[in-house]
This record gives sequence, C-alpha cells and structure tokens, in this order.
Amino acid sequence: MGRSLLALLLVFSPLSILSIGGGQATIPEMQHQAVVVHGWLSNSQFADLFALSRAAPGPSSLIAALIGWQVFGFWGAVAATLGIFLPSSLLMYAVGAWWHRRADSPIRRALERGLAPIAVGLVFAGAVTVLRAADAGALALATAAAVCLVQSTTRISTHATVGAVASVYLLLFYIR
Amino acid sequence: MAAEASPAVEASAVVRPSVGLPRLLAAFVRLGTVTFGGGLQSWIHREIVDRLGWVDEDTFLSGMTVARVVPGANGVNVALYVGFKLRGAVGAAAAVLGMIVPAFCVILCLGYLYRRFGHLAEVHFVLAGLAAAGVGATLTMGIKVGRRLPRDFATSLTAAAVFALVGVLRLPMIPVVLGLIPISVGLALLQERRPRHGS
Repeated sequence: MGRSLLALLLVFSPLSILSIGGGQATIPEMQHQAVVVHGWLSNSQFADLFALSRAAPGPSSLIAALIGWQVFGFWGAVAATLGIFLPSSLLMYAVGAWWHRRADSPIRRALERGLAPIAVGLVFAGAVTVLRAADAGALALATAAAVCLVQSTTRISTHATVGAVASVYLLLFYIR
Repeated sequence: MAAEASPAVEASAVVRPSVGLPRLLAAFVRLGTVTFGGGLQSWIHREIVDRLGWVDEDTFLSGMTVARVVPGANGVNVALYVGFKLRGAVGAAAAVLGMIVPAFCVILCLGYLYRRFGHLAEVHFVLAGLAAAGVGATLTMGIKVGRRLPRDFATSLTAAAVFALVGVLRLPMIPVVLGLIPISVGLALLQERRPRHGS
C-alpha cells in the first residue's frame, strides 16, 4: 500500500511543478507516465478518465484523482490529488506573497504592466482553443455569445447561468 | 487613468470589504462545484470581482497573470491568490480547499456512476453546452480586463501577438509566453523609468 501511494506522489508532484500554463499542459506526460511507464491504465481507459475529468466540475487536473483511484482506491485518489495540487500551490503561495509585499516597487509595476497584455492575449486564445477543440457549431457560438452578452449587461449569477444553459441544452436534446 | 476609473475601482481603492472566512469558503465551494468547461478563472472573475466586488479588476488581473506564469491549475492558483488577498494564509488555504475538496468528491462519484452506467448522450450534449458557456464567460472577462490595458502601441501589439501565435497559429503556449515575457516586461521597465505625468 505504502509503495503504491508513494509511487503516485512521485509521479504527480513533478508534474505539478511542470504544469506551467495550467493543468492541461501536463496531460500528455501524465498519459505517458500512467500508461507506458507504470502500466496503471490502458490508453482507452486514460481517454475515458480524461473525458470524465472534463465533464466534472472544478479544475480539470482532478483527472489525477481518477487515476489515483484506479490504481489504489480512495487513498490513491487522495495521494494523487495532493501530489498534483500541493507543490504548485506552495509555489504559488510563495510567489503570491512576494508579489503582495512588493506592491509599490517599480519592478513589480513593470512586471504587472508587461505581463498584463500577455494574460489578455492568452484569455482570448484560450476561448478560441476551446471552441476549436469542441469543433463548435453555430449552437456553441450562439451560446458563448449569449452568455457573454448577458453577463456584460446584467449581474446574473454563475448558478443561474450554468442552470439556464444546462436546461436549454437538455430541452434542445429532447426536441431535436 | 483616474478619469476612466469605473465605480468598482473607486469603491475598492483603499478599503477592501472585510470578508469572513465562512463566506470566502462558501464562495469557492460554489465555484468549485458549479463551474465546468475549463474556464474556471473566468467564473472566479465573474463571482469575486463582478458580483461580490471583493477584489478590484487590477488586483485580479495582476494576480491572474502571476497565477498563469506559476505552475499549477490556473483556477486553483487564482483562488489561492484571491484567498490570500482577502484573509492571508488561512484564506488562501480555504479558497484552495473550497475549490478542490467538493469537486474531488463529485468527480469520484461521477467515476463510480460512469463505471456502473456508462455514458448518456444527454449528458454529453449538456456538457458541450456548458463548455460553450465557459467560452462566453472567458470572453466577458477578456473584454473587461482588456479594456483596462494601457493604450499604447507596444501593449496592444503584445496582446495581439500572443492571441495570434497561440490562438490562431496554435504554437505551443510555453515557448511563446517565455519568449515574450522578457520583451514585454523590458519595454514596461523602460516606460516606468521614463518620467511621465498623470500615472
């Protein structure tokens, strides 16, 4: 038991530190480790877990929990989740605290000013990437536009938005 | 700069609303369990900045930028930063646990149901809709934060270049970002050194 849990921690902790740009950056390496190196899963099992993690709420890096569960049940899921979130969170905490302390330094102002356009470019690039990955049709484009319009003009809550979109799609599914 | 300040900025300029730990935790539990489709930080922006006004736009944007450069799930890093801003170390831990623990339980339940029952076509269809809604939330946030960028040529060009290289040409994000950071920050340093009135 101890060895399996340790193996999970040893696989996911480095991935946590390597996941620059977000959890999805490490998916290929996670697949390599879980399928080829450790033989925990088959390729198609990995694909199923990946789809599940996209379907579940919350951060998509929680695919680690599903892999851990597959390998060693509940405690496997806990170990894998700790491995994938703890190292990067500690690092983010250190950097965030430094960032916070330097509120008025010129270096921080320059970093902020220089990083902001990169962040904005990435936000829009991310939107395009998701639409393309889902080979989105007119319905998806209309949904995205409608959500953007409603959010920009009203104070509608996240619950209401998610609930409304889910209901409309469920309705559309049955009347199609 | 002051001339175009929005009401949200004025309200939060000096005094931050004091947010209790239970409310902070509740907000992130809600976000961790109702947000789908990868656009976590857009939904966080929507709740925390737009609706609750706990953090102002500039603080959020700078935190989000740091969160994207530091390794880790972007949404979790943003949550950590917001929690830290509001309640220090305890707030950071509460925000991260709020985001992860309930979602962890949900995903294990889904994994169980999936093994028992396999996939349902309706579920797939609805999830595609929620992913599209996530894109909508991302666009809302992009427009809001984009408006606050300084209106100079270098800034606009950098944002456009990142979008074109990563979004349109689909080059891998990490080399693009690592290549552009020194240029963009270097230009910003030059601008900071240059004495300018007004800002």
